[in-house]
Order: sequence, then structure tokens, then C-alpha cells
Amino acid sequence: MESGKMASPKSMPKDAQMMAQILKDMGITEYEPRVINQMLEFAFRYVTTILDDAKVYSSHAKKATVDADDVRLAIQCRADQSFTSPPPRDFLLDIARQRNQTPLPLIKPYSGPRLPPDRYCLTAPNYRLKSLQKKASTSAGRITVPRLSVGSVTSRPSTPTLGTPTPQTMSVSTKVGTPMSLTGQRFTVQMPTSQSPAVKASVPATSAVQNVLINPSLIGPKNILITTNMVSPQNAASESSNALKRKHEDVDDDDDDDDGDNL
Amino acid sequence: MKGNETMLDFRTSKFVLRISRDSYQLLKRHLQEKQNNQIWNIVQEHLYIDIFDGMPRSKQQIDAMVGSLAGEAKREANKAKVFFGLLKEPEIEVPLDDEDEEGENEEGKPKKKKPKKDSLGSKSKKQDPNAPPQNRIPLPELKDSDKLDKIMNMKETTKRVRLGPDCLPSICFYTFLNAYQGLTAVDVTDDSSLIAGGFADSTVRVWSVTPKKLRSVKQASDLSLIDKESDDVLERIMDEKTASELKILYGHSGPVYGASFSPDRNYLLSSSEDGTVRLWSLQTFTCLVGYKGHNYPVWDTQFSPYGYYFVSGGHDRVARLWATDHYQPLRIFAGHLADVNCTRFHPNSNYVATGSADRTVRLWDVLNGNCVRIFTGHKGPIHSLTFSPNGRFLATGATDGRVLLWDIGHGLMVGELKGHTDTVCSLRFSRDGEILASGSMDNTVRLWDAIKAFEDLETDDFTTATGHVNLPENSQELLLGTYMTKSTPVVHLHFTRRNLVLAAGAYSPQ
Repeated sequence: MESGKMASPKSMPKDAQMMAQILKDMGITEYEPRVINQMLEFAFRYVTTILDDAKVYSSHAKKATVDADDVRLAIQCRADQSFTSPPPRDFLLDIARQRNQTPLPLIKPYSGPRLPPDRYCLTAPNYRLKSLQKKASTSAGRITVPRLSVGSVTSRPSTPTLGTPTPQTMSVSTKVGTPMSLTGQRFTVQMPTSQSPAVKASVPATSAVQNVLINPSLIGPKNILITTNMVSPQNAASESSNALKRKHEDVDDDDDDDDGDNL
Repeated sequence: MKGNETMLDFRTSKFVLRISRDSYQLLKRHLQEKQNNQIWNIVQEHLYIDIFDGMPRSKQQIDAMVGSLAGEAKREANKAKVFFGLLKEPEIEVPLDDEDEEGENEEGKPKKKKPKKDSLGSKSKKQDPNAPPQNRIPLPELKDSDKLDKIMNMKETTKRVRLGPDCLPSICFYTFLNAYQGLTAVDVTDDSSLIAGGFADSTVRVWSVTPKKLRSVKQASDLSLIDKESDDVLERIMDEKTASELKILYGHSGPVYGASFSPDRNYLLSSSEDGTVRLWSLQTFTCLVGYKGHNYPVWDTQFSPYGYYFVSGGHDRVARLWATDHYQPLRIFAGHLADVNCTRFHPNSNYVATGSADRTVRLWDVLNGNCVRIFTGHKGPIHSLTFSPNGRFLATGATDGRVLLWDIGHGLMVGELKGHTDTVCSLRFSRDGEILASGSMDNTVRLWDAIKAFEDLETDDFTTATGHVNLPENSQELLLGTYMTKSTPVVHLHFTRRNLVLAAGAYSPQ
């Protein structure tokens, strides 16, 4: 960062001068001129958030005005949310002691690529079924999948969240002979090209659907939502022998396929 | 102020000072004469005075060792026994020899009825007392592909150039153009065939340095069609249509600060500001696993020299040891007072060294997670670490521009190399340990004479008891060469198997 061409102190507004002074006091001498603007914006946003929260707290306490206690409470609550810091040292030493007590696990010989159980890997196929039905459902031939599959296409490593289908959630090419047979509905199973066959041969057969929150309005009477996603460790769903499974958010009386075998 | 972790650490732990007995007596007498109880109280409460018997240290010695945020290391902290020897190489038959098969011999002890030389040329039949037992920590067994690698390694070793003050290595510099200060991590495979770069735009890019292009494995449908019994099945599984010199790996959601190839070149690890460490397959060029544990930026990661284990260190002040098939860390190395900037395995994979922003370097035992060595002396956060190939020494570089050399067995600083004017961000010993190369943000690569730096160490019991050694002022004599680049900080250094130096950095025009 080269030293910015700052506006001469006379023409800078007062708060910009103050911010420049703060930066100087903290020992920062070289910065681009827009840093001051960004810092001012941050300060403004932070203060307004705190004051808004303080107003809420004071009205909740049925006070006439906002006083220092409200502001203090607001600061405390926000600090826990936005400015998290790493855990304290004694906590770290404690969990380290616990973790270090277990002996190192023995290594099984000849076990192929050594990867964690499938649910903790990103190797599950992130595909979805594309309906072949001619009859237009509520979303007129559009892919009715209210799920954003997460995989190597997006860049979020955290657990997937509900989202609307985007064109990028892939309808992809090669058809692999997976053991899923769906009679009564016409579907094609499409797998992404990034599926790695060399990694685990059993992956297509044991992938399961986790944490699917279905927007009931998007499910037509005959559409079955099939999505597989990156697994999360908190997943409680057990793998079923059939790779397809569904979860209801509300009681969905239309769908009579409760045991999840799609027959 | 209550919430600030560093403040809490300072107030709760004691600052350690080492002082000789004579000096301590003088200090006590002086404070008691002045009847200045305030200072005496502070001393009692917040300082831990580690008294040693012997000559008081000179100013130069003291200057060399101070700098850490918590004072110096107590002498007992550096007393545990450390197995710094190397593990025995398993014996592998070499096709050039036309003797009968020796077979795999994990213990490394040659069979008594075969009087001929073993294929690795090591004549010692006794267990090195400083080497850890072979099964101290579980290590993966050697696969056929690993044995082939080792044979290649041995062949290249015979062609290796012997380096020395009169035979300096050539340096081949790989400059990343158009990176716009976005290059944040580099790693090179051991056989120097692939280079990986981690960037601030969250991508990891892998280049092939040799004419052989990068190919990914065919799709499952095509794989079922190939003949599995053919000799070149490993080539047939590769899809020619995907051949290219560069592969880009997408997946992280923050700048990639650490990268490490596995020794068998099948996997690549990358650690990022998003708090995860990702394992990528170099056969399909997709992400296999995301290891979540650090919830804060992970500054560095490295595979163990034998594969399977890897270590990562981050902003949460701990380093974690993982195995590729466990989704949670196996060991947590907690003790640093500030971010862990740099993590390296010892060549025998039994110890992990971590360099931190609290200006100390700690050596941790993989078996039980204990901190077996604390090295203080740097005056700034540490950014680079490297072990010598014989496992006995550790070299560290920090923002103060000095490279410090440490004897692991005795726990002492044995050398100080002054010369760089900016952060030393990469260090590497040559393959046989004769030369130490250091790369810095001041756009230079410097070569130092390692053999000379480590000879004549007076490490008798008396010296080790005091905890410090007389350091000669010989940086100038040890400096063998300074090589300047055109405004490219040297982010990574690598010695090929034939002792050619590869250096990497991103051109940053100013």
C-alpha cells in the first residue's frame, strides 16, 4: 500500500481527520486513501447497529429514554456475535489434554485410499433427478428442486442451506448404471462429470439425503425430490439400503410413499 | 480489556527470566537495600526467575535469546529426551543388482546369512540410540508404488551433485506472473514434477513442471471398458482428453495460505482462511474431504514425510495433527500464546515443530502431544521452519530477518545467520544437509554453509545445563552467496533430488 494522496487536512471533514489521526496513533502510516472512507463506514454501521439495539432494549424495559445500561447491553450482545475470538488458553489446554490421551489409532494395511467415512467426505454425487414428465407441474417444466446441492461447484464448505434452484445446479451428462430403479415414475439419474469413480466404488449406492427441508408448495403430486448433498457431521439420518430417501417438513398427505422406496 | 486473550495470558502466566546465581544475588541485594517493595512485589508475582549456576551471560548472548512474549524458556522445558534420529529405511531390492531377492525387511536389520551389502548402502547394523523405535507411532506400510518411488529416489541420489562452498547449486526460479500479490502458498512435490500454488482468490492451481501433462482419471463407464490386466493400466485409466498443463481446484471460500503434496503424489492438501483444510485428489482433480476443526484461518499445513498424517496450524493458537481417514484431529498441540504460523514434521514423523507469532518455536511429540522443546530468540513472528535432513537441527526464520539454528537434542541455539533485511519466509536444507538456502521478502535468496555452522559445537553437559552456548559472530563467513530477484519475494524453496534449487515467488512490481 503506497501512501495515499490524502486530501489536505483543511478540506477533509472533521470525522475523516479524526480517523486519520486514529490510524496514525495505531502506528499505521501507509494506506490507500479509501481506507479512511471504509473505516468511517464501518464505524457508522457499528454505532447505528448498537444504538438500534439499545433502543429496542430500552423500549423493552419500558424506559422513556435510552440510557447507558441499554447501550452497554447492546454492545455486549453484539460482541458475542460479530467479534468472536479464539478460545481462551486454559480451555485449549484442557481439550488438548483430553484429545492427546487417546493413543494413536493403528493403521489398517491395504485399505485403498484412506479417507474418512463417506458422510464426512465430499465424494458423494451431487446430482439430482430431472423429471421427464410431459405434464407441466407447478413450475412448468422447470426443474422443481428447491435444493442447492453443494459440492465442488459452489465454494461453501459448510452445510448446505435451503435455496432456490439455480441454473448451475447441474443437469449433467453421463448416465451411470446406478442401482436405483424407479418404476412408476420416469426419471433419469444424471451424475456430474466430476464424480470420481476411482475413489470409492460404493459411493453411488450408499449416498443418502440429509437435512432436506422441502417447500411443500413445490412438490407436485408425482414429483419426488431427490437430492444428495455433502454430508454434515450432525446428520442423524442413517443410510438406507435404497439410496433415495425423503423427509417431510409438514405432513404431506398427497405423497403416499412413506417408506421411501419409491415404489 | 477483560476479553482480550493476550492480556489474560500475560496476567495469568509468569514471564520467565534466566539469570545466573551471582547476578540474582546482586539483584536481590540491590532491591532490598533500596527498600523498594513495589518492584520486589512485582518481581515475585509476575516473574519466574530461572536460576542457573555458571558464568553470567554476556549482553550478546542475552540479546540472542530474548524476544518471546513470555520471556525465555525454562530450562526444564527443554530437558525431555527427543528422538531426533531418522527411521531406518526399509530394504528394497534394486533391479540393477542381480542378486536374489532380499525381500522387505521393515526392521532394517540385514539378514545375517546374506553377507552382501544392503541396497541402501547403510552399513550400521545397530539401532541408532537417538532414533525412535520403528513402531513408536503407527505409520502406513509401504505400497508397491512407494517402493518404485524409492528406487527412483535412489537412482537420482547417485547422480546427485555434492554441494559445498566451492560447488554452489544453480537456482531455477519460477516466477508467478500476473498474480497481483495474490500468491499465498506454494509447494513442490519431492520429485519436483508438480508445483501447486494457493491464491488469495481461493483457488489452488497445480502445474506440471515436466513435459508430462496433468490428466484426470476416466469416468466410471469408460473405466469398466479397459483391460485391467495390461501392464500399462496406470496410463490407460487416464483420460487423454483432459490433458493440460494447469489444473485449477475450486472449493475454498477464502485465501489459501498453505499447500502440501503427499509423498506419493496422490493427494494435495490446502489450508485456507475459511478455517478448513481440504484434501484434493490429484488423479481426479476434485476435492475429497474438508477437515473442519480450526474455526479460524489456518495458516499452514504439511503432510508427514510418510504420508497419512498431516499437521495444520492456525489463528486459534493450536496446531492439530490429523490422519486422512479421521474427520477429527488426532492430536491438539496447545501452548502457544499467539497464532501458529508455520508447522513442519520432523523427518522421522515423530515430532512436529511449530513457529508462532509469539516468537517461539515449539517442538511437539506426536505420540502424546507434549511440548518437548521451546526455543526463544526471535524478535518477531516466525514464518519459516525447516529440519535438517539428518534430523538433528532446526532452522527458523522470522520477521526480524535472522535465521536461527537450533540443536534439537540439547535444546540450544547453535547459530545465528544475519543478513536478510526483511522477513525470512522460506528455508530449506540441501538434500545432504550441506547448504541452507533462505528466501526472504527482501527479494533475495541467500545460501549459507551449513556444515561449517554446525561443526565445533561445544555441547558438553556443563554447557547444556546452563542452557546457552557461545555464539560466534560468523554470519559473514557462512554466507556463500546472495542472489537477487527483480522485486519478487521468495515464497518457497525446494532442492531437487540432484541438489538443484527451485525457488518460487510472485512478481510484485512496485
